[in-house]
Amino acid sequence: MARANNKTLRLRLYVAGGAPNSVRAIANLAAICKEHLQTAFKLEIVDVLQFPLRALADGVLVTPHLAKLSPSPATKVVGNLSDRGSVLLALGIGK
Amino acid sequence: MSALPSSILRLVKDGPERRALDAGEVDAVIDAANGNVVLLPLAKRALSRAASSAANSLLAAVPRQDYQRLLPELEPVTLTYGEVLYQPGQRLRHVYFPSDAHVSMLVVVDGGKALEVGLVGREGMVGIALALGVEHSPVRALVQGTGTALRMQSGAFLEELARCAPLQREVHRYAYAKLAQARQTAACNRYHLVESRLARWLLMTRDRVRSDRFHLTHEFLADVLGVRRVGVTNAAGDLQRRKLIAYRRGDITILDRSGLEAASCPCYGIVRNLAS
Repeated sequence: MARANNKTLRLRLYVAGGAPNSVRAIANLAAICKEHLQTAFKLEIVDVLQFPLRALADGVLVTPHLAKLSPSPATKVVGNLSDRGSVLLALGIGK
Repeated sequence: MSALPSSILRLVKDGPERRALDAGEVDAVIDAANGNVVLLPLAKRALSRAASSAANSLLAAVPRQDYQRLLPELEPVTLTYGEVLYQPGQRLRHVYFPSDAHVSMLVVVDGGKALEVGLVGREGMVGIALALGVEHSPVRALVQGTGTALRMQSGAFLEELARCAPLQREVHRYAYAKLAQARQTAACNRYHLVESRLARWLLMTRDRVRSDRFHLTHEFLADVLGVRRVGVTNAAGDLQRRKLIAYRRGDITILDRSGLEAASCPCYGIVRNLAS
């Protein structure tokens, strides 16, 4: 998996405005990125309250929802991202 | 956790989504049939609360995505009438963005006498000195109107200021407006009549609390205007006789706003234009 890492890590986080779990998810993700991601990555935050159709088109059922778009395989984590282990696993970052 | 409405449970039957929902980690569910976003009760409450408190103009200038990053750092607090946020020389640990509270900046001279040099409401922030590289408060910050504010730790504020250009622009613009306000007030205090200055100050308070009724003690007004209490009595009596305000035991009601503007010195309009 580490070898597939030539492509930039692209993430998309779907949130519901400033709702508590969404705020927590952003803070948790920011902490994880700061600590574990030394290389460049792209993070897009999509507010489903503003863009509900994007969530629908991307098959997002609940927020918060973190999607790893690249490198493949595409993965997702739902919830407020407080379970750091499952986030790292989904992002393909070493233990 | 409390039972969720069946309308929500119906949309998320199983999988990781359902596990997150059961763990209370979900804010909203998207109805795959029509794209409707259904907020969970807790999220709905939090959002309506936030909508009423994100009324600070400086924070409103922050782009939505930056604001979301900022949110975890913003702590809602209630500021109570008479509370002192800083004494002169005290280290600025937090900055405050008032929503419906308003805070008065007082310069203390000769060991006790205070003179008001600025007023902060939803249009600004308390702790602006920090943005200019000063770590200690030059003034006493005294809460004049009970209400809510969002508080942020100084370190987090400085980090965000360095990162978020729109916030920086707004804060600098605001710092300039404060400087201009102080400049104007200095001239005003020296040359204008007490009645005109009282009228100006009541209008400024009105703009910040967005209400024609508020409470101000005699003693505080004396500090604001830099006169003795009898001076306040005379000036308020004058405005009252002209039916511009009603004033009773510190309860002030503005009866005629345009009349009060006419009675005020031109400094009111000048400072207001600078701030907008």
